[in-house]
Amino acid sequence: MSEHVGRAGRAGRLRRLDAGLSLLDRQILDRDGRLSGKVDDLELTPPEGDGSGPPVVTAILSGPGALARRLRGSVGAWLESVHSRLHPSAEPGPARIPFGVVKEIAATVGLSVRKDDLELSRFEDWTRDHIIGRIPGARHAPE
Amino acid sequence: MRLSELLHSRVVDAAGNDVGRVHDVRLVQDGPLVGTFGAAFRVEGLIVGPAIAGARLGYRRSGMTGPFLLAAPLRRLHRRVKFVPWDRVAELGRDTISISGSADDLDEPEPLPTA
Amino acid sequence: MKRFVAVTLGILTAIGGFVDIGDLVANAEVGARFGFDLAWVVGVGVIGICVFAEMAGRVAAVSTRPVFDLVRERLGARAALANLLASSFVNFLTLAAEVAGIALALELASSVSYLLWIPFTSLAVWLVIWRVRFETMERIFGLAGLSLVAFAVGFWRLGPDWGSVFHSVSHPVVPSGEGHATYLFYAVSLFGAAMTPYEVFFFSSGAVEERWTTDDLNVNRANVLIGFPLGGILSLSIMGTTALVLLPRGITVDNLAQVALPTVLALGKLGLAFLLIGFFAATFGAALETALSSGYIISQFFGWQWGKMVRPVDAPRFHAVVLVSLVLGAMLVLTSVDPIKVTEYSLVLSALALPLTYFPILVIANDPDYMHGRTNGRVANALGSIFLIIVLVASAAAIPLMIVTKAGQ
Repeated sequence: MSEHVGRAGRAGRLRRLDAGLSLLDRQILDRDGRLSGKVDDLELTPPEGDGSGPPVVTAILSGPGALARRLRGSVGAWLESVHSRLHPSAEPGPARIPFGVVKEIAATVGLSVRKDDLELSRFEDWTRDHIIGRIPGARHAPE
Repeated sequence: MRLSELLHSRVVDAAGNDVGRVHDVRLVQDGPLVGTFGAAFRVEGLIVGPAIAGARLGYRRSGMTGPFLLAAPLRRLHRRVKFVPWDRVAELGRDTISISGSADDLDEPEPLPTA
Repeated sequence: MKRFVAVTLGILTAIGGFVDIGDLVANAEVGARFGFDLAWVVGVGVIGICVFAEMAGRVAAVSTRPVFDLVRERLGARAALANLLASSFVNFLTLAAEVAGIALALELASSVSYLLWIPFTSLAVWLVIWRVRFETMERIFGLAGLSLVAFAVGFWRLGPDWGSVFHSVSHPVVPSGEGHATYLFYAVSLFGAAMTPYEVFFFSSGAVEERWTTDDLNVNRANVLIGFPLGGILSLSIMGTTALVLLPRGITVDNLAQVALPTVLALGKLGLAFLLIGFFAATFGAALETALSSGYIISQFFGWQWGKMVRPVDAPRFHAVVLVSLVLGAMLVLTSVDPIKVTEYSLVLSALALPLTYFPILVIANDPDYMHGRTNGRVANALGSIFLIIVLVASAAAIPLMIVTKAGQ
């Protein structure tokens, strides 16, 4: 699989990938394999020091706050307003997953933390607490 | 800065000639250590090509060859794609990126393998 | 032996689950107006759905991801969103039509107006999704749908002149009373009925729900390549019965009773009983599938946890979408809009939306990163490419034909 090719130290070659092809819009799985959103955007930070030189990928951005900016147009604007309405703070940015908690990048992006530890479960929690969780049988095992 | 701000931007060279649009951003894993991931990814350069639909369908990779109806025209279009190393990026505008030097002395990107 | 039973059950379920309200209405209408002159469209449609269902099933088994999940990765967020909005709209209309179909079947059985049945049928559909195991749900409604074999028996009992039937099927002409545009319009509708988008979304998500692996690929192929054509024969039987009984009398189909009429004439009360069970199972099963599909595609676009394979609390947004879709669908039907008209529109719009569904499947089934050595062979690619062209032609023609013929008048 391509993610094993070129891991630094294996053949001395550095790993390369194209962000749009291999990272963007990929499914994110948490430590337990649960579906945790998509890679909606990537945060690029100029390097330390004088700021020249190539930017570093510092975080994955996920959720309506991130997706809204990519979609542009009226759908994006609507998503942005939904996001700010559900977010408690005044100036909500998109939900960030610091790249340090990424474990592997393959067909999906795997994290080393659990879904609940991420800030992007807000909408899901609201739906669970206010709607689905209140219907009898919601905690019933699937089989 | 976000990745989405780079994607689809117009790219022009020092003389103002149109180089194309940013199809993709090539990352290389040679940045500072970050969390438990290892070395962070840094931007190596931009993949720039003609403004076509279907740039993300995956036909740029060598292993993607079918079906013939789609692969033939798309792979031909991808041969016109160029790689702009980050050190040649001069200015990041809102929708346009200016690069130093001429569009003519850009190479094709190094192909990445599929699984 | 156990394997044989499992394979047979799979095939039988595929046959019984093939027909939905769209197939019932489209095949019956076409038989009553065009006889057997559009039978070839069903054949083409069946081949098409076989080609793409095999691909979608293979994608799901090998990559363990359903097709729509991968659409965003390959088309990008903006194109995938457009796809999602269009597919969701068509899905929604189809769901409303199926929910109405269940109520119409109950109305036929009970003489109680279908509108009164709607709240109960929608609630029942939701309860089955909420509590019944996925495989159980599929099996029960699939097998009960085999009741529709009464159409085939009825057709045979009506004593058709087989010679002229075969001649008519193999030499289609535009009948003298109808225009070319109307003929083509019904061809597009029939094609949309055979290749409905939700079938593929549901099929590939269902494969992941049932945790198919590469070991299941051959069973998948058997279900599709044997089950779907036999299901297509059921569709043709519907067309055949109305062609033999309604066409000579100049009766056109605009309600479910007329769909049943020829078979009831041939088989009497027993035939009616089988048909009522079959109508109920087909529409109820299809309502389950379309309601789940609306949850699947929205969740898979955003990356939310989806599926009946986890507890509802662990997939709250998926279940919320399913619930809201059912409520909205029921509300649409309760406006007493003609459910047959809703069905007809859902078929034309399905035909319009087909390229959105099939194009990504064809690309993804060729992608070695997802398919791990099981990418399309030459046959699959050849057939897939031919059908992509057919689907594009049908899609391009759908709206113009609908306007020119005023939706088939």
